[in-house]
Amino acid sequence: MAARSMLRSVWTSFAGLKLGATGSNVIFQQGTNVPQLSAITIQSRGLRQVVEKQEGKTTIVEGHILNTPEAPEPPNPAAKCPIYRWNLQHKYNYTDVLLLSQFIRPDGGLLPRRITGLCLEEHRKIAICVQMAHRAGLLPDHKPEPPANQINKKPKQQLNRYLTRWSIDSVKPIYKTGLKWCKRRMAVGSPLLKNNVCYGVKHMNIKH
Amino acid sequence: MSSFSRSAQQWATFARSWFLIDARMQPPGKIATMCAIRLQGKHKPIYHAMSDCGDHIVVMNTKQIAFSGNKWEQKVYSSHSGYPGGFKQLTAAQLHHKDPKAIVKLSVYGMLPRNLHRHTMMQRLHIFPDDELPDDILANLTEELPQPREIPKQLSEFTQEEIDAFPRLWTPPEYYKMK
Repeated sequence: MAARSMLRSVWTSFAGLKLGATGSNVIFQQGTNVPQLSAITIQSRGLRQVVEKQEGKTTIVEGHILNTPEAPEPPNPAAKCPIYRWNLQHKYNYTDVLLLSQFIRPDGGLLPRRITGLCLEEHRKIAICVQMAHRAGLLPDHKPEPPANQINKKPKQQLNRYLTRWSIDSVKPIYKTGLKWCKRRMAVGSPLLKNNVCYGVKHMNIKH
Repeated sequence: MSSFSRSAQQWATFARSWFLIDARMQPPGKIATMCAIRLQGKHKPIYHAMSDCGDHIVVMNTKQIAFSGNKWEQKVYSSHSGYPGGFKQLTAAQLHHKDPKAIVKLSVYGMLPRNLHRHTMMQRLHIFPDDELPDDILANLTEELPQPREIPKQLSEFTQEEIDAFPRLWTPPEYYKMK
């Protein structure tokens, strides 16, 4: 379990991550500054790199603090929230997976707000966009591990969907839609993204 | 084109063409509007309701149609057989499982004008759940229409260069351990 979580953390997309071949141990000279490239990395958070050295019978495990590669300057460095720093306030959607993947865990969950530094409204918008992206199948590698599933139930019907606001099992069918003046509408997208920039003539329709 | 002879120009104007639409990851309503316009002949400047100028449309991959929102669970298709106790209500998901062609067919049927031409126009609509088309229809196809909705890219479909080109918006604090 721990090894799996280590491998998962190795696999998350942090810049400056280097993976070496597992299995074979390389013997280094004692005391010299060994270049990191030829070392074996077992676990890396992107900020610290754990290096294992084997000298005869002793194994030395060291943590070297990496220099994080310099990120390009954000256009608005004075702002507190990372989205306001990069001026992406009303410009992202559920399709911008490269942006959303920076705020999620490997099993698909969202990172806490106190860590990412997002302001409350942007955190909520990112949360709903991530939910919609998961339901649309845009994040196939960020699924949670199934808990020791021995009995594999018959596979659920894979239906394509997008802009799903509610969770699939929680929604009931609308048997009586009502007349035009009192129609029960089907919700599409989210009202949190109402202020998004729209380059077309028609505004975003949330009630279908 | 003005360089054609008179008979060729006449033939090109009044011929009945065959269009192909790929419904993969597309909303059925948008596919249906495109079909209804071309089945009536409203995309032609020579349109007249009585002049039977509609074209043939072939829709493929209707099994992989995509509804927005929670319509798979919320949208209900009702029908009554005419007999007492014959009122049936099926959700879109149940109907699609029973017959993958039905959703597109019902959407187009509802968008055509309510006159006697409707059944002839529906006969000119050909729906296939997969992308296997019979040879005679394949031979007749003239044009493929562009898809109404842009299919979004999955995270696994991005190249490593594109992922690297996207800047990191935030750096995690030193004390935080990613689980």
